[in-house]
Amino acid sequence: MGQNAILVDLGQCIGCQACIVACKTGRELAPGEAYIHIREDVRGRFPNLTGSFVHHRCFHCADAACVAVCPTGALSKVDGLTAVDLAKCSGCGYCVDACPYGIPEMVDGHVSKCTGCTDLTQEGQEPWCVQTCPSGALKLGPRESMLSLARERAALLAKRFTSAQVYGETQLGGLGALFVLPDEPLAFGLPEQPQVPTTITAWQRGVQPLTQGITGLSVLATALAFVFARREHHREKRALAAQAAQGEAGDDSGR
Amino acid sequence: MTAAVETRILRYRPRQRLVHWLGVGTVLTLLVTGLALLWPPLSFIAWGGVGPTLHRVGAVLFMALPFAYALLNPRQTRELLVEIFTYDREDWAWLKHFPGYFLGHAAGLPPQGRLNAGQKLHHAGTFLAFITVSLSGLALWFLKGSLGATWLPVMAMLHDVSMLAVTVLFVGHVYFTFVYDALPAMTTGYVSPEYARLEHARWLEELTPAAPAVETPETDEPTEIVVQQA
Ligand code: HEM
Ligand code: SF4
Ligand code: SF4
Repeated sequence: MGQNAILVDLGQCIGCQACIVACKTGRELAPGEAYIHIREDVRGRFPNLTGSFVHHRCFHCADAACVAVCPTGALSKVDGLTAVDLAKCSGCGYCVDACPYGIPEMVDGHVSKCTGCTDLTQEGQEPWCVQTCPSGALKLGPRESMLSLARERAALLAKRFTSAQVYGETQLGGLGALFVLPDEPLAFGLPEQPQVPTTITAWQRGVQPLTQGITGLSVLATALAFVFARREHHREKRALAAQAAQGEAGDDSGR
Repeated sequence: MTAAVETRILRYRPRQRLVHWLGVGTVLTLLVTGLALLWPPLSFIAWGGVGPTLHRVGAVLFMALPFAYALLNPRQTRELLVEIFTYDREDWAWLKHFPGYFLGHAAGLPPQGRLNAGQKLHHAGTFLAFITVSLSGLALWFLKGSLGATWLPVMAMLHDVSMLAVTVLFVGHVYFTFVYDALPAMTTGYVSPEYARLEHARWLEELTPAAPAVETPETDEPTEIVVQQA
């Protein structure tokens, strides 16, 4: 399958929270756990107020910091979305710090983050949130067509909100969740160009495999040397004992 | 010669042995629960947060242990610290023979004191790695969430490298223990004169200044030459 993307059109979101409920039910989340958070955002000065509902949910970055930092492979990219394999998660919590958007949380000792419903999408179904959205604010499809749809909608929205734009076209290699925003990204607290720190790559690609490799090698090398060295030392001890016995005999006769 | 006579030399007192084995227990716990975070086959240890919690409990014991020992035995601790960071000419000469020693040849090496140069290096390395593993571990523990995406990996790298140092030193330590049959020193607390003569000749001399090496006493009881030091 190609690259999929989720379209999130804040111009169409009516804040009904149906997606949150469908997600919680469909993904069998724990009480209090949620992959989507929605808040109402009011901007401007009275009387020139504009409001919109803002989704806080995984952006499914192409160059995902969480995937880069995850030491167990619990997080991975599947068809453009950032999938989660809970069985592999060790609960280290590194993804919580790594994500530039502050998305993953820890619940019951494991990661809690939108899985992209990749189990459903791989069978040709839509994610729970997309299936449920009554206003057409959420869509899933090939990234290219989602992108052109997002552009169309942003153009329409720009007639009312001059700063309306698409977010996610280029950020972090291109996000797998394309947002249609009625305003500048910064107005929603979204960084213009977030970065994955090089220390994450240095650690996961360099230091971590190296330290684990050397640790393993040292165990292996000593295990091999052990058999040889122990035999050598016992031979040496027998020789020393024989020498000592001879020496004693020599001393006795010399006195 | 009286056949039943046995001479043994006190090497580690009960309290030292207790601290040693508690240290082994905490390091192994930390290693397994730490690796469980990185290695999927061990990930199950982390379910329900058990692994990370055990890692923290182990870490507290691991960090408290040396301080508890140092408080109870300030003089021995100071002497040990001086000893492991002091290397004389015989130590360097001994280290030149290290490859041979690694492969099982202890005879004919420059005579060593209470600790041979390899043991000194092991203890000194462990001491330094103790500091870095503790500091980076404390940072990962208490600053998670505020370190940020750049510094968290830096601390994790420091923790990884310290973990590597601790583990390689640990593996080497176990290796030499079993190649040279040194385990009784830390289980019974005693070593045989043959062992002491071969591995720590200078130490043996210091213990028995008047006597030429070890006297075999004329009794049937196992005797001990009590060490007037650590
Ligand atoms: C012999 C001592 C220790 C060993 C072998 C060890 C090993 C490890 C390993 C392999 C990891 C995973 C590293 C990674 O994610 O790259 C880890 C993580 C961690 N270690 Fe240690 N460690 C030791 C001591 C300590 C100490 C003394 C502390 C605390 C004061 C500590 C606190 C942590 C914390 C907080 C983590 C992060 C994971 C978590 O939140 O559970 N460790 N350790
Ligand atoms: S938004 Fe955060 S959790 Fe989602 S893919 Fe990007 S880095 Fe991972
Ligand atoms: S908490 Fe789980 S998903 Fe997040 S980095 Fe650690 S192992 Fe990966």
